[in-house]
Amino acid sequence: MSAMIETRGLSYNRGGRSLVRDVSLEIGKGLFTVIAGPNGAGKSTLLRLLSGELSPTDGEVIFNGSPIRAIPSWRLAHARAVMPQASDLSFPFTALEIANLGIEGIGRGLSRSERSSIALEALERADVVHLAHRNYQTLSGGERQRVHFARALAQLKTGRSVEPRQALFLDEPIASLDLKHQLSLLQEARRLAHGGLTVVAVLHDLQLAASICDDLVLINAGEVVACGSASEVLTPSRLRGAFGVRLTLDHWPRFPWSLA
Amino acid sequence: MTAHAFTRSGLRLHREDRQRITLGMLLVLLVCVSFLGLGLGATGIPMTRVLSILASVINGDTAAPTGEALIVLQVRLPRLLLGMLIGAALASSGALMQGLFRNPLADPGLVGVSSGAALAAAATITLGDRFLASLIGALPFGALPAGAFLGGLFTTLGLYLIATRAGRTSIATMLLAGIALGALANALMGLLAYISDDRQLRDLSFWSLGSLSGATWAKVAGVTPFIVPALLAMPFLARGLNALSLGEAEAFHLGFSVQRVKALAIILVSVSVGASVACAGIIGFVGIVVPHILRLLSGPDHRFLLPASALLGAILLITADIIARVIVAPAELPIGILTAAIGAPFFLWLLLRRRGEMML
Amino acid sequence: MTRLSRREMMLASLLPLAFPAHASASRRIVSIGGAVTEILYRLGAEPEIVGVDSTSQFPVDALGKKANVGYMRTLGAEGILSLSPTLVLASEAAGPPDALRLIEQAGVTVVRITDEPSQVGIVRRIRDIAQAIGAQDRGAALVEDVERGFSRLGQAHSKIASGVRALFVLSIQNGRPLVGGRGTTADAMLALAGATNVASSLEGWKPLSDEGLIAAAPEVIVMVSHGPGGAAADPFALPSFAATPAAAKRRLVVMDTLYLLGFGPRTPNAAGDLMLALYPDLADEAKKALRP
Repeated sequence: MSAMIETRGLSYNRGGRSLVRDVSLEIGKGLFTVIAGPNGAGKSTLLRLLSGELSPTDGEVIFNGSPIRAIPSWRLAHARAVMPQASDLSFPFTALEIANLGIEGIGRGLSRSERSSIALEALERADVVHLAHRNYQTLSGGERQRVHFARALAQLKTGRSVEPRQALFLDEPIASLDLKHQLSLLQEARRLAHGGLTVVAVLHDLQLAASICDDLVLINAGEVVACGSASEVLTPSRLRGAFGVRLTLDHWPRFPWSLA
Repeated sequence: MTAHAFTRSGLRLHREDRQRITLGMLLVLLVCVSFLGLGLGATGIPMTRVLSILASVINGDTAAPTGEALIVLQVRLPRLLLGMLIGAALASSGALMQGLFRNPLADPGLVGVSSGAALAAAATITLGDRFLASLIGALPFGALPAGAFLGGLFTTLGLYLIATRAGRTSIATMLLAGIALGALANALMGLLAYISDDRQLRDLSFWSLGSLSGATWAKVAGVTPFIVPALLAMPFLARGLNALSLGEAEAFHLGFSVQRVKALAIILVSVSVGASVACAGIIGFVGIVVPHILRLLSGPDHRFLLPASALLGAILLITADIIARVIVAPAELPIGILTAAIGAPFFLWLLLRRRGEMML
Repeated sequence: MTRLSRREMMLASLLPLAFPAHASASRRIVSIGGAVTEILYRLGAEPEIVGVDSTSQFPVDALGKKANVGYMRTLGAEGILSLSPTLVLASEAAGPPDALRLIEQAGVTVVRITDEPSQVGIVRRIRDIAQAIGAQDRGAALVEDVERGFSRLGQAHSKIASGVRALFVLSIQNGRPLVGGRGTTADAMLALAGATNVASSLEGWKPLSDEGLIAAAPEVIVMVSHGPGGAAADPFALPSFAATPAAAKRRLVVMDTLYLLGFGPRTPNAAGDLMLALYPDLADEAKKALRP
């Protein structure tokens, strides 16, 4: 297993507070890695450091073998897509236009019809093709998340011809989704991971995370508590330490749902 | 999958076609109002005569124009071109600012660009007159436009420096600082008006009333090198602005150099607004209403919005100017009244009609 | 409707008023500035005037019968050219400069008329206008008339023992008066009427603070009425004005704006009227000089 992303002594301070402290990680290529931890543990900050959005105060992120700071934004955009927590938009873009934004930055060489077929396919994969001409501002939170997922998929598809080693970063991608769409989104990500894509996701639902991830990184107060397979990491003592909760069963429960 | 293919071709209608149709109609409309602008005025000149005057110039008639030809060529034509350039510059600067600030209410007037330009122009009139003119006799003809342009540029540059730390520009800081700087500029302008003598006050009032009535070929030639390149450069920022509307981090993720998009947008806005304010004073409302109307009609995609705003801005200003000089002929109305009087009801009508579908 | 027929309609409505049968229609004058129009009327050039600006409030006829070319500071070149003028007489305050330059380029003679608020200025104004329209004889008569008025004013002036302290208030906005300081027409007018301008430490038209107003201690307030019958608001209702010596005797003089500040041929009379209002106890001989 080769590492897609490596960090060495990664730290990030802001306003005198240390949000991420001395994180050294290896994120395997083609794996689905989940970052879990309690609120305020620094999950999103770590994800933003890994995706190159934030510059670390100390340490560095090695992406595809080179320091991520040294990669210009247009090249980085070929190699990774980021799905943020759903946001408001000031202008009435349609869902199709949002998906197209994933292509506009890096797909200038594509023809109009190539671009539109990539965007529509991405919308289909995110199960929002029926919303293609709806105004984003009128969509529900869950629909918006799926549109952003489609945008990330479109960006990856566009960049793949240039950079086949790609990563997808998901920040709480299923926070406002219903059960069916939680599963279908994560399964789509899983499917892509099988195809060689490196997926890094911040998830809150530990059961769901355990059922879908290859690796799990548990962080608390900006530091890595443990990483490895979900069953190794999620021990009762660590859960109590990080979340202050106690498992009432004597074994780790399986996730009870699958797509019908 | 035939059903699939059908959906795809069926879906591609809607916005893209709408945008193309809108652009086409705006172009036709611009040509129409341009001819109206040449044909209408306090002096009744038949359209056929206007056309023959234009034709004789195109055919290389270089004789100094007199009579009707003079009115068409020296009064109406420069005025038409100036209105076209300034309307286009103001409206597309508005669209650019709104995209940059991700705020549909942003306007060059709001972030102090106009005020900065206005202050510099006022300073040129009063202080320049007091100190500079005593050294070199009289103020050179181009001092006022140059002053206003530099004022706009320095205000924007100052804002940019205030709001930028470690290579990142905080748009929120810039907005707040812009409002503060605008207030400061207005205060300083009041001070300048206070210390000016009667004749300087008169010059100030000529300039601050916002009008195209002093349009000359010299002014057209003066603003063209600023406004035309800025207008041509703006569409290159369109994709970046689209991405920026998702947020700065998202634009970066999508592969855009956010800092460069922001810096370029700021330069283009200060260049075109500075040049406009310098020669026509502050004309409000165009920068804010034109992009809104177009977003309501055909969506917010900046690749469409920027050129369409330029066209509609030109149309609005030319139309307003025609009405301004015809309705109370031989006198003239201030053009700012008319841009608002034409733009606002149309804008309200669109808002009401689309109340259900669009949220701004 | 063609443009031509519209223009004809407009001219048709103006011509019978503007051109009595005997007048030659060869010269067409556009007059810009209240005093300019007033002088033209006094020189008998009324039939030749085709357009006036919106400050030409006297004679009242002017704006009613002539085309209005708008406010003198926001003139439009084409608007004026559309009246096919042969001569534009414009006060120095008129503009914008580019509009007037274009009118000149169109082959129309543009004569700028001085704005100086003094006897010398008025005389020069009359002479310049008279010369521009070739009515030197009438101009000379008018100058003589005006100078006679000034000399009567001078006689009356010499009878004034000590100048009354006066404050000229152009307008009151939000309780703050805009007063005439040094170099304004108001300052010149107060001087002609034999009053001491208490605001002479200020230059130009300036807002005066409450304390400044009380410190200035005017014995009389002079205000202008805007338009016929437009009475000014009572200044003594304001606390700062109420604390002045003028309020104690409720001494307020209100006169028509253009009459008082226009510095045209009526100025000696206006100054005389102001003087009588300021000095009600003026000796009989001085009164006689002012009202022969």
